[in-house]
Amino acid sequence: MKRRNHVIIPLVLLIAILLACEDVIYPELPQADPVTVIDAWINNKPEMQLIKVKMSLPYFQAQVLPGVQGADVSISDSNGKTYQFIESETIAGEYFWEPDDQDSVFGEIGQTYTLTVTVGETVYNSFTTMNRVPDIDSINFRFEEGNSFFPDSYFAGVYAIDLLGPGDTYWIRSYKNGEFLNKPSEINIAFDAGFTSGSVVDGITFIQPIRDGVNPFDQDENDNFLSPYEPGDSLYVEIHSISNEAFLFLNELAIQTDRPGGFAELFALPLSNVPTNLNNTTSDDPVVGFFNIAAVSSAGRRLDPENLPTE
Amino acid sequence: MIGRILIVIFCLTFSFDLRSEENLEKYTISGYITDGSSGEALIGATIYVEEIKGGSVTNVYGYYSISLEAGDYTIEFRYVGFNSVTRTVNLNANNEINIELAEVNRELEEVVIMAEKSNENVESVEMSVNKLDIKTIERIPALLGEVDIIKSIQLLPGVSTVGEGASGFNVRGGSVGQNLVLLDDAPVYNSSHLLGFFSVFNPDAVKDVKLYKGGIPAQYGGRISSILDIRMKEGNQKKFGAEGGIGTIFSRLTLEAPIVKDKSSFIVAGRRSYIDLLARPFTDVLDGGAQLYFYDLTLKAHYDFSQKDHLYISGYFGKDVFKFDAQQGFSWGNSTATVRWNHLFDERLFFNLTSIYSDYDYNLAFGETDLDKFEWESRIRTISFKPQLTFFLSPNNAWEFGGEFNYYRFNPANAFGVSNGEIANITLDKKFALEGAIYLSNELDIGSALTLQYGLRGSGFLYLGPGNKYEYVTLEPGDRKLVTSIERFDDFEVIEDYYNLEPRISLKYQLNTNNSLKASYNRINQYIHLISNTTASNPLDVWTPSTNNIAPQRGDQYAMGFFKNFGKNNSFESSVELYYRDTKNQIEYIDGADLLINEFLEGDLLSGVGRAYGAEFYFRKNTGKLNGWISYTIGRTELKVDGINNGDWYPTRFDQLHNLKIAGFYDLNERWTFSANFTYLSGTPTTFPTSRYNIQEYLVPYIGSSGRNNIRIPDYHRLDISATLWGKKYKKNGKLRKNEDYWVFGVYNLYARRNPFSIYFSNGPDRPVAGEPIPTSATRVSIIGTIIPAVSYNFKF
Repeated sequence: MKRRNHVIIPLVLLIAILLACEDVIYPELPQADPVTVIDAWINNKPEMQLIKVKMSLPYFQAQVLPGVQGADVSISDSNGKTYQFIESETIAGEYFWEPDDQDSVFGEIGQTYTLTVTVGETVYNSFTTMNRVPDIDSINFRFEEGNSFFPDSYFAGVYAIDLLGPGDTYWIRSYKNGEFLNKPSEINIAFDAGFTSGSVVDGITFIQPIRDGVNPFDQDENDNFLSPYEPGDSLYVEIHSISNEAFLFLNELAIQTDRPGGFAELFALPLSNVPTNLNNTTSDDPVVGFFNIAAVSSAGRRLDPENLPTE
Repeated sequence: MIGRILIVIFCLTFSFDLRSEENLEKYTISGYITDGSSGEALIGATIYVEEIKGGSVTNVYGYYSISLEAGDYTIEFRYVGFNSVTRTVNLNANNEINIELAEVNRELEEVVIMAEKSNENVESVEMSVNKLDIKTIERIPALLGEVDIIKSIQLLPGVSTVGEGASGFNVRGGSVGQNLVLLDDAPVYNSSHLLGFFSVFNPDAVKDVKLYKGGIPAQYGGRISSILDIRMKEGNQKKFGAEGGIGTIFSRLTLEAPIVKDKSSFIVAGRRSYIDLLARPFTDVLDGGAQLYFYDLTLKAHYDFSQKDHLYISGYFGKDVFKFDAQQGFSWGNSTATVRWNHLFDERLFFNLTSIYSDYDYNLAFGETDLDKFEWESRIRTISFKPQLTFFLSPNNAWEFGGEFNYYRFNPANAFGVSNGEIANITLDKKFALEGAIYLSNELDIGSALTLQYGLRGSGFLYLGPGNKYEYVTLEPGDRKLVTSIERFDDFEVIEDYYNLEPRISLKYQLNTNNSLKASYNRINQYIHLISNTTASNPLDVWTPSTNNIAPQRGDQYAMGFFKNFGKNNSFESSVELYYRDTKNQIEYIDGADLLINEFLEGDLLSGVGRAYGAEFYFRKNTGKLNGWISYTIGRTELKVDGINNGDWYPTRFDQLHNLKIAGFYDLNERWTFSANFTYLSGTPTTFPTSRYNIQEYLVPYIGSSGRNNIRIPDYHRLDISATLWGKKYKKNGKLRKNEDYWVFGVYNLYARRNPFSIYFSNGPDRPVAGEPIPTSATRVSIIGTIIPAVSYNFKF
């Protein structure tokens, strides 16, 4: 539950009278066998689509995951149409599909798809649907004066209206100056216009924390916060439609990897495995990863201080 | 089966008594025992009748009653820290004896050899019960010098916490939500200020603290782990008094006075944190409407209409307020009110009627403008009614009969969001429930050595409309359950009901004057549940009723103990207790559970069984310049839930094998006293990842081979000390000072150990470089990683 962190973190910041302290440690971790990893996030942008088939590594081993070569990777739709993925000759474990004259983009909205990955005797599969996506109305910047915690800053906001009818799930991906905002704390997902399936916020503009989720909160070497955007910076935003299962996956991924530490540890959740929608149809050996096909809408804007709304 | 045995015993005891009734005329000695200086009722004071080598103790209102055959008796009235009073009585009619005991002077305490200390801990049938008097609590070194009831009981055997800053406490492996915390009979749903750093009870207004960990009498129910019964002072009936202090966190002031001397009194006690007031001139953080403070106010009044009728009214009101600016912030607090009426039908029949109101609420508001905001209010409100009748049949036979009726209103979310001017109402339905219980219990001496306390509590729970009944289906254990049907119920329609019998039995076998063996069994059902999946419970956690999807929790506890007093005047007391608790319908959570503002909350809950077992060792020295206690517990607590850890047993997050506490007090002289306490706890369990993989731009931790909570964080140990300097007793001109004052200097975590609270795994704060492997690290967090000194000034006049 991300909202909980939004509440607790400012709260604990205020408890300045007591200071939690942290030490980096090097514990010995339990051993485990490598597992097969399938990373299959497809979209309908007119570009090459990539599926990675890899093996996991020990947690502290900061290396590129070893690839699984010689797999047969394809996606088929409910009409029997098959998209065959070709093995990369340069990077082990990567399989790609490229648009051609017949298909300028991958798939169509509303269609259901089956992913099949065959590695030797083992067949893995997964199912998903390409869901609808709303257009982005606008991207705005605003200026806010600083305080003790934060400098004078330019903040951005992305405006889009959730499609009417409950159950739409989106991943809002932001790029600052062309660079994807890739911190776990920057995972920005929406269930309809809000955070969760349990409280229905349907058919309205994305709520403010989601609109503002396009701002990076980086710190300088003295741990002072930096303005998220400076004049001249660009922001490019994509909304990817995702399945409800993919929403749960990204939500769990954020819980497991976005660990602010300190007092927030009082309210941490137990470490557990994020869900997967891959199945091993051959044996009980585990497989992890996720399969989603997204429809994408996008917009971009450059910050021009001359052109800001005045409060 | 056990129910049937109890019925047989009930029948037997009545025939047993009828037989003994016939012989000689009996008369009753009864009355109240109070503190002579203030008129406060003394709870648990002993009435010892020399001739029968036995007696009774006062109840929570200070009342006692003993029925004896006509004759001459020597009766001693005693209470720890007070001078005993002895009376000789020629009993030929019912006799009312009210006793005022005088407190032993502080500086005399160590010199005067006290009258023989009561053998209560050995002689009473009660086991698995710990009492702390407020004087002891006040001497325990505390974090930032703030005397704290909840932290103090953590020094007792079988009590622990998941770590510093965590709210609540764990008893014999039970979770925080399995403790019933009662303040003058009113349930307190959140006992913490400032998350979990301080508890909400103002020590200046508290008289007596009693923790039931096992052998829980039939009058209590509703939580499967423990009952913490906190009783407030009634106020000084004799004269005006004030006490207070200025500490590191709180400033406190308590006023008490008679309304009508010796008949009626009141007490008002308030505390407020004042760091914000001190900080305001030095920082601009608190400008623009930001606030950070917490306070509590405790009130009580009592009136004696006659010797037969007493009325007590008490209330508590507390709040924590954290506001980031004028519109945004967060607050929570409890309010309780209790009205109690005691009536004596005759000397042997004591009646008490209690009415209670309790409310816990929190509010949350975000958004700087009306176009974009979020407001949320949540509340649990309880109205209770408890009649209770005590019948003192004879010194060796007392009956209790009573009932308890609670009406709950749960308001999980009264909430709305505004986004870009458009409103989304996300308010959830309120939930209503009625919990009722009636009980009967009897304490009976069978022969001179054996005492039996047994009882039966019949409890029931109605989950009432208006509301929806949701049916769910489980696809895969551990995954979110899907709703299959929703049925609407009208006002007061019963959506689901539960009925249970809860047998309670305790036995004491007196080996000799100083040694006894005890055993007990109790079954308790818990009908309302604290929903919390974080390491420590937090103020946003909601309570929820049992429904058609959430069955009542059930705990069966078996305990055995050996109790021994020794040394001159029983100055040493000791005990060993073994316990085993078996629990059913324990609540767990799916991964990624959405517990706040979720209409389909029940779909995210899992159910399992639990077991907790251990041994508690307790050794205490009550007298002398050096006194204190050593408490050691070895224990385990585990859960087994379909959908977690492959359905295998796993330790709970607060499972601690070793739990050692030492509290020591030393009275140097008239002016200086010293205290120290040492804590050692085994590291709590946690889960470590084994592997890593990447999905899109992210690194995912993976637990390959091992299950949940399979690794221990390092052990916890800490030493705290404090010194109290009492003000001079005499003025310069040699006259006795009217007021008393003292300074307390304390140091928490004397050797500045960085005690680990948790270990977490992350990618670190730096932005990962696209295309390159993501570095990972493990971080150990200490909530209080340094030495914390404190000083406070306290006064009393």
